[in-house]
Amino acid sequence: MSDLSKLSDEEVVEITRTKNKEAYSEVVRRYQEKLMRYARYLVKDEARAADVVQDAFIKAFIKLNSFDTKRQFSSWIYRIVHNEAINLINKYKKEQPLLEDFDFESNVNVEEEYTKKEVKKMVKDCLEEIPLLYREPLSLYFLEEKSYVEISDILRIPTGTVGTRINRAKLVMRKKCQLKKIK
Amino acid sequence: MSTKKNKIKLAEKIMSQVKTGQIEMKPKWYFTVGSVLLLSGVMALSMGAIFLINLTVFALRGRGPMVSWKLQMMLSNFPWWAPLLAITGIVVGVNLLKKYDFSYKKDFKLIVVSFILAVLAAGFMIDKVGFNDHLRKKGRMKPLYQHLEHRDGPVKPPQRRFP
Repeated sequence: MSDLSKLSDEEVVEITRTKNKEAYSEVVRRYQEKLMRYARYLVKDEARAADVVQDAFIKAFIKLNSFDTKRQFSSWIYRIVHNEAINLINKYKKEQPLLEDFDFESNVNVEEEYTKKEVKKMVKDCLEEIPLLYREPLSLYFLEEKSYVEISDILRIPTGTVGTRINRAKLVMRKKCQLKKIK
Repeated sequence: MSTKKNKIKLAEKIMSQVKTGQIEMKPKWYFTVGSVLLLSGVMALSMGAIFLINLTVFALRGRGPMVSWKLQMMLSNFPWWAPLLAITGIVVGVNLLKKYDFSYKKDFKLIVVSFILAVLAAGFMIDKVGFNDHLRKKGRMKPLYQHLEHRDGPVKPPQRRFP
């Protein structure tokens, strides 16, 4: 099992589906914490986030043969967590509306005003206040450090929309963070 | 400490289900069949929509003199099911297209517009090349085409022949 730690995600997946299904524990070990963190950002509840991640790992195992090893496993499993979280949010209907029509270009660059470290801190502090539509790309970009292409694969939106959404999200976050500080 | 415990619990729960066979991987052929069915679905819906548009064009064609009078008669007996089914086919087809990765990597609005235009163009083209005339005369579709042709008025009874 110790050899598995040196292999790439895609190689571990290949071993799991062809040789030894118990190698899946390596996948769980690698992603459990990251996925828990991401699920927590989305559902804002520790217990529900754990349910989301558990269901996601189970679904991923069942569908493991549909994964194309030429692609990134990370985006694939994050996508499953995303779907599970959205299903759970829809089930409880407590979430704010997705505000799909609120996407628009903005020329204001928040990163010019703050350093990346400051923006990251802002995201951590104010993420819960931000609508889900913006919470997803913000958490993936600043906290999970995913690229635009990876975010595009996880959320299944064009990379241009990822950029627009992140820019807009930064503005929303700035407003919400200021309001939080005033309160 | 509790987070660490929860982490171990979660991993154990998942792996015990894997080890005991409570959860099983679906075989590769299952997903291959799924992909083939998806592709067949998109193709069948496109071809169905093309045929129905072609049928609508055929039904809309004014034939002979007194076209305006014929148009009124025709609209009252128009086979609305054909364009409605064509539209349904296109909508379902577009929804199936969403399942492909290119749907979010390219401009999806452009894909949808191209798909609709291609289906419409193919429907009109098939009518233009005389496919309808061929089906009207021969094959299994002959009764349907004859029904569409005579729906504007009562079908004339065959003339009696006197010896």
